[in-house]
Amino acid sequence: MSIQNLNTFDPFADASKGADDDVQDGLVHIRIQQRNGRKTLTTVQGLSSDYDLKKIVRACKKEFACNGTVIEHPEYGEVLQLQGDQRENICQWLTKSGLAKPDQLKVHGF
Amino acid sequence: MTEEDAIFDASLKKKKKKKKAYDIDAALAESDNLESGLQVDIDMEKKDDDDDGNVDIDLDFTKKKKKKKKPFNMEELEEAALDDNFDLELDFSKTKKKKKKKKDLDELMAEVDEKQDDKENVDDNAVQWLGSDRDYTYDELLNRVFEIMRDKNPDMVAGKKQKFVMRPPQVVRIGTKKTSFANFTEICKTLHRQPKHLLDFLLAELGTSGSVDGNSQLIIKGRFQQKQIENVLRRYIKEYVTCHTCRSPDTILQKDTRLFFLQCETCGSRCSVASIKSGFQAVTSKRAAIRAKTA
Ligand SMILES: [Zn+2]
Repeated sequence: MSIQNLNTFDPFADASKGADDDVQDGLVHIRIQQRNGRKTLTTVQGLSSDYDLKKIVRACKKEFACNGTVIEHPEYGEVLQLQGDQRENICQWLTKSGLAKPDQLKVHGF
Repeated sequence: MTEEDAIFDASLKKKKKKKKAYDIDAALAESDNLESGLQVDIDMEKKDDDDDGNVDIDLDFTKKKKKKKKPFNMEELEEAALDDNFDLELDFSKTKKKKKKKKDLDELMAEVDEKQDDKENVDDNAVQWLGSDRDYTYDELLNRVFEIMRDKNPDMVAGKKQKFVMRPPQVVRIGTKKTSFANFTEICKTLHRQPKHLLDFLLAELGTSGSVDGNSQLIIKGRFQQKQIENVLRRYIKEYVTCHTCRSPDTILQKDTRLFFLQCETCGSRCSVASIKSGFQAVTSKRAAIRAKTA
C-alpha cells in the first residue's frame, strides 16, 4: 500500500503545457483586411509555435481552395495569411482539427 | 420544472453547443458570462418586437434572431408555456428544441461526460441537497440564487429594464476607396466615450486606417457598409460601454496604469477591459510604393 501524502508531486509539472496537450493556450486572433476592390485577406495570429504552420497552411489552402502563406513577424511570430474572407472557414477548421478551442478564437473585423 | 428552469437550462446548454458546432456569430459575440447575462437576455427577447431600426444595446440580438428562425414551428409554439408575450414563447420553443437535440446527440454518441450529467440533473434537483448530507454543487447554488432573485424581484422578470437606444451609424461611401462615418462624434457622445478610444477600436478591428475630418465625420480607408460598422459598434459597446456584470450602459471608462477599467455607476462593479491592439497587419498596398517611400 502506498501512502498518498508521501508521494512527491510537482505542482508545476504541467504548467509549461496546458491542461490539454493538443490544444494551445493563448488566444488566436483571426482578422480580415480589405485589399483593392472586393478582395480581402484573412490573417491568423497567435497559433502556437508547436504547430507546423507550413503544414497548416498547406491543408487550409487545399480545404478552402484559396492561396495562403506563412509570414514570420518579429513581434507576433508566425502568422497565417489566407486570401479572401476565410474567417468562418478557419474557425471551423481549427476547432474541427482540435488545434484550438472555440473560446480561444477571437474573430475581428466587421 | 418551472419556466425559469427551462431558460436557465438553455443558457447552460448554449455554451456547450458552441463548443461543438462552431459558428462565426457565436465567436463574434464572444462567449461571455452567460449566467450573469441571463435575466437580461429574457428582457431583450421581449423587446424584439419593437425593433425600430435603431442600434440598441442588446448585443446578442443578431445571434438570437438567427437561431430563432431555425427551430420555429407551430407545434412547438403550442407546446411552449402559454404566455401573453409572443417573443417569450419563441424563446421557450427554442429552448425545447435544443434540449431535444442535445439528448439525441448524447444518445448517438453515448458519450459519458460527467460534467454534462451534472448539468442535466441540476434542474430536477435544484434543492435536493436540502434533505441529504451531500455537498451542494455550484450549479445548484447558482440556480438557487437566481430563483430567489426572481421571487424577490418580479419586476426583473417582467422586463422593466431601461433600454438604451442609439441612432444607427450613418455610413456613406466616398468615391470607391473610402467610407465616411458621418455621425461618429455624435455616437461617441451618446456612448460617453472619447472619440479617440472608439476610433482606435474601429480602425484596429477593421484593419485599416482613417481619421476624423473637419466636419467631425470619420473617414475610413476601405469600403464598409452600415451593417458592418454596426457590428463593430455592437462589439465595442459590449466590451467598453455596458457593465460586464449588470449590463448597465451607465459606466465610466478610466485609464489606470496603462490599463482601461470600466466602472459601473449602477452596480459599482469595476473590471479591466481588453486593451485595443491592432495586432498583425498584412501588407495590402503596393509593395513597390512602400519601398519607394522608405528608400
Ligand atoms: Zn454594473
